[in-house]
Amino acid sequence: MQTFSAVLFIIGAVFMLIAAVGVVRMPDLLMRLHCSTKSATLGVSCVMLGAALHFAEVSVWARALAVITFIFVTAPVAAHVLGRAAYCSGVPLWLGTLSDDLQGRYTRGTHVLSSPPEVATPKPARESVP
Amino acid sequence: MGMSPPHQPDSREHTPPRWLLLRRGPWRAAAFALLWWVLAAGDFGSWVIGVPVSLGAAAVSLSLAPHKLWRWRLLGMARFIPFFLRESLRGSVDVAIRALHPRLPLAPVVVHYRLHLPDDFARVFLANTVSLLPGSLSADLQHERLSVHVLDRSLPVEATLQSLETRVAGLFGVEQAESTASVEAPRD
Repeated sequence: MQTFSAVLFIIGAVFMLIAAVGVVRMPDLLMRLHCSTKSATLGVSCVMLGAALHFAEVSVWARALAVITFIFVTAPVAAHVLGRAAYCSGVPLWLGTLSDDLQGRYTRGTHVLSSPPEVATPKPARESVP
Repeated sequence: MGMSPPHQPDSREHTPPRWLLLRRGPWRAAAFALLWWVLAAGDFGSWVIGVPVSLGAAAVSLSLAPHKLWRWRLLGMARFIPFFLRESLRGSVDVAIRALHPRLPLAPVVVHYRLHLPDDFARVFLANTVSLLPGSLSADLQHERLSVHVLDRSLPVEATLQSLETRVAGLFGVEQAESTASVEAPRD
């Protein structure tokens, strides 16, 4: 059991290191978020599981599972909020990024997509009159 | 790209009155107190802080709660949770390999996916779970239009999103609206 928890510690630490490496190596903000969200979530989960196995107590298990649950609930929310803020405020994407369909259709101040119009305000096309 | 199906109206007409939510207050306070007890490892002195914090957390969570009452289905949870854990494990390994690979195998694309979930809360829930699935990160959510940033366009994002959506619908016990084309084809 000791070796198993040691292996979990090492796997967790390696994943957190990879998350850090990815943040440095990835070419734009959204891809860095991919890296920091997913790898770090797995890394923290492995470390917490290793600690729970090491101590083998109900109270430590309960706290470790609570921490893992919190990470799984909060990390994607934070990633979505950061990613949305970056995407909607026009942080430049990597040049290789394909098909940014929102290009030129997004009004930054009002957060309104101009096409399709049904999604935004269902106003008739009054503005199109020259 | 030009096609735009009619916007699904939200089912707001079935919204229960606000005070119904207050019935959940004691339950939430009890749940937060249980959480406090777990985190504080049964230390009795800590309840001086624990009780007010549990009550305050219950009040905040009720004031932030969606107007619609919802609950997770057990069968839906049995289908969703193993899927989510497996896919997020795959997602972490996938992005770790990409980050370490000497050539950085990235071909990012922004995919626009039309959700078939009728409920706003389920949509937000799905948008947040997408960020832990392999290679995908939800960039924006406008009603039923979800923009997903994908690390590599060869990843089967559409299939993953569809099976995730089916499971989220089962989790919330809602029907998916019928539609055919869900992912808009990338422009060249």
